[in-house]
Parts: sequence; structure tokens; C-alpha cells
Amino acid sequence: MKSTALFVLIGFICGSCGDRKTDPVVEPQPGQATSLDGKTTGWHNWRGPGQMGASAATGLVDSWTVGGENHRWTYDLPGRGTPVIDRGRVYAWGYRGEGRDQQEILACLNAVTGKKIWEVSFTDFISDIIYNRYSIGSPTVDPDTGNIYLMTSPGLFVALDTAGNILWQHSMMEEFGRLTFPNGRTGSPVIDGELVIVRGITAFWGKQGPGRDRFYAFDKSSGSLVWASAPGVRPTDSSFSTPVFADRAGKRVFYAGTGCGNIVCVDARTGAPLSRFQLLRGGVNSSVLLYKDMVIAIHGKENLDTTEIGRMVAVRMDRMPGPDDKTPLVFGPEAEVWRNKLGIFTSSPVLVDRRVYQTTHTGELACVNADTGEILWSRKLSNSQLHASPLYADGKLYVPMKDGTFYILRPSDAGAEELAKVELEGTCLGAPAVWSGKIFVHTTKKIYCFGRENGTSGVPPAKPPADVAAGNPVRLRPIPAELMLRPGEEVVMQLQALDADGRVVEQDIAAAASWEKFIPPAAKVKIKLNATPKDGNIIRADEINAPSAGMFKVTGGGLQGTTRGRILPVPPYSEDFEGYKLTVPHKQETDVNFAYPPLPWIGARFKWEVRERDGSKVLAKTLDRLLFQRAMTFIGHPHSTNYTMTADVMTDGNRRVMSTVGLVHQRYIIALKGNWQQLEVSSNHDRLKVAVPFKWKADTWYTMKTRVDVDEGGAGVIRAKAWARGTEEPADWTIEVPHARAHGQGSPGLFGFSPQSQKRVYVDNISVTPN
Amino acid sequence: MTGRILILLLCVAASVATAADWPMWGRDASRNMAATDISLPDTFKPGPINYNTEEIDQAKSVNIRWIFKLGSQSYGNPTIADGRVFFGTNNESPRMAAHKGDRGIVMCLDEKTGDFLWQLTTPKLGAGKVSDWEYLGICSSPAVSGNRVYVVTNRCEVVCMDVEGLANGNQGVQDEGSYMAGPGKPAMAIGEQDADIIWAFDMRSELGVFPHNIASSSVLVAGNRLYVTTSNGQDWSHVNIPAPQAPCLIVLERDTGKLIGEEASGISKRLFHCNWSSPAHGTFGDRQLVVFGAGDGFCYGFDPQPVKEDGLDILPEAWRFDCNPAAYRTGEDGNPVKYASAGKGPSEVIATPVIYNKRVYVATGQDPEHGQGVGALSCIDATGSGDISKSGIVWQYTDLHRSISTVAIADGLVYAADYTGRLHCLDADSGKAYWVHDTASNVWSSPLVADGKVFVGNEDGYLTVLATGKKKKKLAEIDFYAPLYASPVAANDTLYIATQSHLFAVGN
Repeated sequence: MKSTALFVLIGFICGSCGDRKTDPVVEPQPGQATSLDGKTTGWHNWRGPGQMGASAATGLVDSWTVGGENHRWTYDLPGRGTPVIDRGRVYAWGYRGEGRDQQEILACLNAVTGKKIWEVSFTDFISDIIYNRYSIGSPTVDPDTGNIYLMTSPGLFVALDTAGNILWQHSMMEEFGRLTFPNGRTGSPVIDGELVIVRGITAFWGKQGPGRDRFYAFDKSSGSLVWASAPGVRPTDSSFSTPVFADRAGKRVFYAGTGCGNIVCVDARTGAPLSRFQLLRGGVNSSVLLYKDMVIAIHGKENLDTTEIGRMVAVRMDRMPGPDDKTPLVFGPEAEVWRNKLGIFTSSPVLVDRRVYQTTHTGELACVNADTGEILWSRKLSNSQLHASPLYADGKLYVPMKDGTFYILRPSDAGAEELAKVELEGTCLGAPAVWSGKIFVHTTKKIYCFGRENGTSGVPPAKPPADVAAGNPVRLRPIPAELMLRPGEEVVMQLQALDADGRVVEQDIAAAASWEKFIPPAAKVKIKLNATPKDGNIIRADEINAPSAGMFKVTGGGLQGTTRGRILPVPPYSEDFEGYKLTVPHKQETDVNFAYPPLPWIGARFKWEVRERDGSKVLAKTLDRLLFQRAMTFIGHPHSTNYTMTADVMTDGNRRVMSTVGLVHQRYIIALKGNWQQLEVSSNHDRLKVAVPFKWKADTWYTMKTRVDVDEGGAGVIRAKAWARGTEEPADWTIEVPHARAHGQGSPGLFGFSPQSQKRVYVDNISVTPN
Repeated sequence: MTGRILILLLCVAASVATAADWPMWGRDASRNMAATDISLPDTFKPGPINYNTEEIDQAKSVNIRWIFKLGSQSYGNPTIADGRVFFGTNNESPRMAAHKGDRGIVMCLDEKTGDFLWQLTTPKLGAGKVSDWEYLGICSSPAVSGNRVYVVTNRCEVVCMDVEGLANGNQGVQDEGSYMAGPGKPAMAIGEQDADIIWAFDMRSELGVFPHNIASSSVLVAGNRLYVTTSNGQDWSHVNIPAPQAPCLIVLERDTGKLIGEEASGISKRLFHCNWSSPAHGTFGDRQLVVFGAGDGFCYGFDPQPVKEDGLDILPEAWRFDCNPAAYRTGEDGNPVKYASAGKGPSEVIATPVIYNKRVYVATGQDPEHGQGVGALSCIDATGSGDISKSGIVWQYTDLHRSISTVAIADGLVYAADYTGRLHCLDADSGKAYWVHDTASNVWSSPLVADGKVFVGNEDGYLTVLATGKKKKKLAEIDFYAPLYASPVAANDTLYIATQSHLFAVGN
């Protein structure tokens, strides 16, 4: 908690994210917000209270028509996820607008009337999202507080209160190196106790530098990072499989599919990987079901042991590592209980008693015996299905399909009776939600609500985790688990004592502990953090205006723990790489030595290296792995604003091929594009992309200068110029791009793209100065 | 002109395979998916499948000569020539112990027995999904000419191989071991069942091509030249083309792989997505043309004889035809309709243009990942010059949705499938629709007309058989157990049906 102040303080410069528009508050009807035991009720996460896609609600309607029978309201907001409901309010994630005016929207509506209470909008920045694949996921509501958690498509992870005020936020891209992908699959945060957990493929720094599918748990109140976890292996895809919680042998755990084709079991209290089962070689995107001692999962890609595409399996992976297990358990084929040939990439199954209901890639709805895997029946509903998942409630399946067809079916072991078939406007990619007699479904055009005016919530109070007294403390946990400080800034560390199962024995140890810097033996770059511990478990960044990164070990009461962090300089700062010693022999190129790029830079390790070129030490794009043909590396603090960048840039090339090189400036990529002979400003190419002709040659150094100015109203201008290095700087800007919803802050960074890893680009003499 | 006559003669000379072979995608340079001179069994079906072993009971199959296990994904289409069957797939059922893991594979089988003879093994680029998507294998349909077979690999290379493999010694390229290992890795031992590579042309390093998702086109052999689509396309953002100057269509010398021509119509700057279509070749009046359905939604006719321009050998553009109706490109508000919009907007050409009676038939479509949407099947009078978008239109059928299927034309009837799963039967002269059949699942493959029947496979794994003719008559719907993304082809009284994982030789 003590670190909250700092994070909140530095988290509110952002002018382009979290714009709130509030209409007169329309309060929900009384009597619908609470259950009998006084606990708030609702459909707090997209999978429902048991995370199985099923509800105990009764009295739901069997049929409806758009604009007619049982249709309660419609709200115009394209979306691709599931609305969630709390205290009579619907929270839905969508998007609106086109081109640079498009924004993602978190809408708060009266669940009974569909009237808007407020909307908060977020602008995309430098993501890889294409074709409006926005809002593929859902917000999640904390049942305790009603606070709402959402990770936007470019990775802005925000916590909001019920009035739509942002409590805290993290730019996962700029703070943790979270990557974005054209598929746009983003998913939903999950809340368990005091933690809110999000996930993504990240390429960060140090041990977390290699790209992995990682989970990040934050204190839901303060936003401080509590743990980070990489329970899988090298991913081949991204995944938005939602973690599903369970209590196992004293531990609180979750199961989830990963982008590396595993089902993983992770200690939800500590992030410790507990076990994994390699299901396939691609990604597991569907959420899993927990049934008896089994995990039921489905996928739609290559299997390991047959060449069929897709499979549904039940895997017994309830066993936890024992005291002698030094590494997570890896379950083999013997853990598989059953399998069948159903397959889909992203739609999630529903569990009702002993039956699993699943929509498949080819548009069928199948019913599976959860004990044996036997497919009892399947029924063709459409010619294909994508992300959408069914909902079970009141003896009926509510099934949205990709083509916008919405079914109400009454399933039995013999088949499914069709009660209603409704054609909705747009495409369905989420699952329906249920609350108080009503069903809510989101399409790429609208949110539809149908059902009765009132009804039972059908949602039992959330079952609290097993309440077992904490055991003896075995280790310390410093929070935050990841520091990000500027010179002179300090953070009061929260120091928890944990027992062997990760329970918090002591919440905030005030006693003095001993802090020391340390370098992990396996570290390739052996430097220490420029920070000093102070009394009161305070870590203070030294007044050295230079980047550094490293770890701290804390010892107290015979217990130990570690944290790590980065110090990021404030403008002015510069880097000419002349201080680097080129001592690492290159694996692919003979007689080439290089140095690793600065450790605190995000996503730099495998994409850039310091080399000698033209008698000078420069930063050079790596070419040895085609996977890393493009590099976007953040070198500064994500809350940086009102600065100017300059750098020298160059590309190798020939008549047919040159590369692209440039700077990332306050969430804009400003780059010289060799093959187009242009200077371009972009921030998500589909949102904002403006270029001017700029003749430039290969093997010639150019100097770039960039600047972003944003006025109090949030409008801004992105400016850049480039000229042959050593010639006189032109007086005028080469390009000036006005942006009505300008990004008010963002980390300085570097951008290099060597198409097909053919022509290397170089950067040198980087400087960031205050305006 | 002399050169053109020579090309024509060579064209004829190159077709030495037996008349009933299917030696390249679309059978011959017209790319028409029709084999009317072939006799096929009236009924056939595969035996039961054991999903655990993936074995299909041959003994209980009806009229299936042999079944060959492919990898896990197979999009290429079989070609059959001189007693051999060639097929592109991935390496998920490894035939050779030395090659494990994700690879692009071209297999060569004995036509009569289905016995495995040799394979080309191509390592992945390691680019991830953007340029060499995992497990897609080799999507190109091999083209056989004489004793050489040509294919576009997942590494965006044009590779020429000896049809006999290494059985007659190693010719041409000698270090296949380095090729199979991939750049920067120690050379592998070359086994007897590895391909004999004669030459390889890398379109990425030679031309700067940025293949999108996968290099996927089938080589056109015309005389002593090869015409090849490059698959140049967008990067991740789908609105940034990294190689705007790279050609979309090139010409290589057949025997050496030397670059001797390229289009310079600026297509790469206008790409919606990428170029996956394959070129066709035909004679229109007194001129020959290479016809190419491009990634900008236009169909182009190119003079096959390159001319020198600015130091490059350029294919002169004879005409271009916008395959998208104007309303697909421009909305009612006068603004351009965004590409890949749900259900609407312009599309590129992925299907191969078909030449039939001096006209060109081609449909618009998009990557299946973009979903369903409006499409158009155009019949083009290819005798004009310049922009013939208006003057060259014979008819345009817009009840066809997005389609990546090449049409089959026989007896004046066009059989065209679209991605929604519908098969349309149209009059080749007027575009009038006689009937539409819904197969109820997405269709990626192309219909085949053979032996008085039209065959079309869908994503559910069903092969639908209908009678040819103006009246719809469904004859059969046969379950092949796995998606049918590859197109059925027929050669030497045998029908070849490829699912993702098995190749079936259907015959009496």
C-alpha cells in the first residue's frame, strides 16, 4: 500500500487515455443489487461465478425477437466480448469511430433500462491490432468493491471505480514489454482475493527478456506488482485463455491454456509454476473447465501425437509438486483421461453437471460426457465459429455464433430442441451474460438485452477461497516485485511474510530488514541497480541520471526475498555507445564482437547489439533471427512527456531493398521508410499513419529530430525532421501531423524493421532533451 | 513475333505428359479445373477411420486404389505426370527420420501404388506467422515439365527438382544437405529419398519480396519460361507493405532459374493483403498473354515477352481489369470502403483466372481468416488494351460471395464455389445462374468437373458430387473425415481427393 502514492502520482499525466464522459446518473432499480446475504451479486467476469459458463438463474425466457417479444433494450456499441454486470449496472467493452478517431470504450449502463451512465474511452497506440479487432475480451468487476478492471487492446491495464474514475493504470507495453498481435485477442483480467491478474506475451528485460507467455498479479487496490510468472515454454502464439481458480492441497491455484500449447497450473498466491501439460504445439486459447480431478480443455491446432487438427481432452493434473520436486511437474500422456475429436481455437466450453457443451470450428454445437469424453450429439448451427461461447442457464443453452445467429436450445442427452433462432446485427464473438431474468449479448454492432424485467439473479455469492490459517513463514515477498524509478525517486517496499503455500502470514513487516544488491549468477549483463536502501524498507534511486537495472535481496527474521527493478533517466540524457566494450563473439558471424544493449531497455536484448561501424560504436539491428526482424524498444520512462529526441540513423541497402529505422516518441513511431522513401508518423497504422516523401540513401547516416506537443485540450502535433548527418539542420520540420486526441505521454524508444532480416539498420547518438 | 511463335511451339512441346495426366495446377496453362475426357467410378467412399491411429480401413473402402498419409495440413493440390504424383504438405507424419519438426514438404509418390519415392524438405523461415505460418507446409501445386518439377516453397523460393529424385544421381545443386538444414546450420546428410534440387531462386533475397503468411502460388510453365507469383504482401499491420518495389509476377528461365522478367505495373504499392493467385497463359486472337489475378483486386494481361526498361526486364502490361464492382470500392458516401470490412468492401484475387474460349473467368476473394463478404465472378473479354474494367466486361456475377476457388468450365457452364460453401452453376456466355447448392460449410478448394460430374470439398470434410448440367442434381455427399482444403483433381481415370491429412486415389 505504501507504494501506491508514488504510482498514482506518476500515473496521471496521461492525457489521451481514460477520457470519461458521464451522463446524468440513472441508478438501477432497488432490490436488484444485492443477494440475500448482503453480498453484491452480478455476472462479474465473463465466465460467470463458477468460471464454467453456466448460471443457476431460473425463470429465463425461451424466445425473443429483435424489436419484439422479450427484447428489453439495445445499446449501440460495437464489441467483441461479454458484458459483465454488477449492482444493476452493465460494464461492456467496445469501440467506436473510424480511423484516427476510433477509440475503445468502456461503457457503464443501467442493466434494466440500457441507459448510459458513463463511458470511458481509450486511444490505441502503436499496437499491431488490425481490421478493428478491438475489445476482444471483457472487463472484470471486483465483487468486494465494485471496481472495474480492464486491459485495453494495446495493453493499458486500468482499474476504475464505479464512477468511471481511473484508480491506477499500467501501460503493459511500455512497462512490461507486452506485445500486441494482429489477432487482437486480449482477454479479461481475473480477480482472486486481493490480486488482479492479467496476461500477455512479454519481452521485458533481464531474466524476463525472452518472449514468454507471462501472468502478472497486481494488488487490486494499489496496482503494485505482486508477482510475475512464466509457467510455460517458448510460445508460438498468444493466448487469452482465462485463468480458472481452484483449491488444491492447501494451495490456491489457477489453470489456464498458454501460447506455448500447455495447460499450466500456477500458484495463484505466488505465481510459482506448479505443473504443466503440453497439449499441442500451437496456442491454447479457450478457457478450461475443472471437473472432478480433471482439467477439460480444447484446442484447434496441431496435436503432438496425431496429425488431426484440434482435440478436446480431459487431463488429470491435480497433483501438486512435493517437497522433493525442485521444478514444476510436467505431466505426460499418462495424465490424459480421455480425448475426442472436437476442435476449435478460441471458443470455450461450458460445464453443466456431467455434460460439456462446446461450439466447434465448423459451426457445430456438441454435447460431451464429461466423465468419458464421448460425444453424445452434435448439431450444425452455422458454417463456422470463432471466439463466441455458449451460456447455460435455466435448462437452456444460449448460443451466439460468429455469423450473428443466436440460438436458444434446450439440451438433453438425446439432442437439443431449438426454442429460438434470432438473427442479430453484426458478428458474435463473446459469450452471453445473465442477470436478473435478462440475457445480455454483444455483437460487432450492438449490445442486446432480452428477457424479463425482473428475475432472480441466479448467481450465488462468490465462494470464498478455503479459509485455512497461515502456517509458519518461510520467505519474504517485497512488493512491488518490479521497481521503475527515476533518479531521486523512492519507494516504500511492502514486505510480506509468506508460508509454504503462499499464504500471507504477515501483511506488512515494519521491522528493519537488510537489503543488498545482487547479480544473478546466470546474468549476461552483470550490472547493479543505481539505488540505495534506506531505513524503513525504502529503496531510493540514486541521483545518477543514467539507466540501470538489477536486483535486490532482502533478509529479515531469517527469511529472504528478492525484487528487481530499473532506474530510468529523466531528460536530458543521451547514449553514444562509445563506453561499451565489444567482448561477446557473434555466433553467426566470424570476427565480429558485440556488446549487449543497455539492460534496462525493454525488448532490446535479442533485437539490437552494439557494434563498431565506420570507426564508431553504434547500435545495430540484429539479423540472425527472422522472428526479430522488427524491433520496438523502449528506453525511457513511460510517463515521459514534453521532450525532444534526436538520433543518427542509417540502413544498409541496395536498389531493391532498404530497411526502416526511426524513433518511438510519446506513443508515436516516427521512421524513415527506405523502400517507400518516406518519413512516416504512425500510431497503430490503421489509426494514424501520415507520411511525406523523403529521399534517402542506404549506407548514409541521417540525423532525425522528433517532438510532440500536446495542448491542454488534448490536441497535439507530432513533428519530425531528418537530414544528412553533418549537414546543416533544416529550419523547418519535414513532417507535422496534427492529432486531435494526441498521446500525452509515452516512453522514448527506438524502432527498426529489417524486412526479412536482410538489410541492417543502425542508430547512434541518441539524445532525449526536455522541451 | 518470331519469339512468340517459338514460345508457342515450346508450349506444345512441353506438354509431353500423357493427355490424361494433370501435370500442373489447373491441368494446363488455361487453369480450367475440368477433365472431361476421364472416366471415374460411380460410387466410392473411404473405409472407417480409427481416430487414434488415423488409419483408414482400405479393405472397407469402396473404389479407392490407395490411401497415402499426408502431414496435418495440406493445401497444395496433387499433380500427376509420367507415373508420379506430387503433393505439397507439412511434416507432421515424418517420412524420413532425419527430418523432424515443422517443415515444408513436397512428396513424390508412385502413381499406381501410392508408394513414397522421395521428398523435398524445406525448413521454416522462422519468421513466425507473418511470412511462413506454422504448419502450413508447402501450399504450391508442383508443376511438371519433362523431367523437371517446379514448386514455390514456404521459404518463398522457386525450386526446380529432378522428377526422378536422386535415383539418377545428383544433378544441379549439390549441397541439398545445406538447404535442408537451413541457413547457419551444419549441412545434413543427403539420403536416397531426398529431393534432387537442380536450382533454387530465392524471391526474398533476389527481389526483396516480403511474403505474407506463406508463399503460395503455383508455377506456370510456358515454353522455356516459368511465370511465378511472388506472394509479396503486407506486414503485421496489414496496412504497411514493406516491399512496395518488389514485383508480384516474375519470369524465370526454365532451365536455369535466371530472372528474365518482372511486372512493373506498381501492383505492390496497391496490395490489399498479398498475392497468392497463380498466373494463367493463353492465346487471345493474335496475341499471347499471361493472365494474372493480383493482390490489388485487378486482373492483368501481360505480354509474355519482357522489354528493357531502366535496366530491368519488364513485362509490358496489355490490359488491366478491376474485378471489384465500383460499389465494393466506393461507398454511397463517396468514400473508399475499407478492405476486410465485415461482409463488404473490395477484395483481391486469390483464385486463379481461367481461360476458356478466349475469355477470362475469375472471382474475387480474401484470406478465409477475413470471413465472409461480398464477391464477384467476372467474365472478361481479354482482347482489349489498357484499362478494360468497363470495356472488357462480358458479365459479372455478384451473387457469389468472397471466393478463393478457381472455376471449372465445361460445356458452356461455369461451376464456381464461394467461401460460404455454395456452389454456383452459371452460363459461361451470359452469367445466368442455373442453380446454387449450399454445402453448409466453408469452401476453400476449387470444384472439379470430370466424367460428367462436379466435385467440391468443404471444411466439414464432405465431398459433394453433383451431376453437371443446367439442372441441379446431387449425386452423393461423402465423408472424408478431415477438412478438404485441397482441390480434387483427376488424371488417368483416377480422382485424387486430399484432406488435410490423407490423399485418396479414387478409381475402379
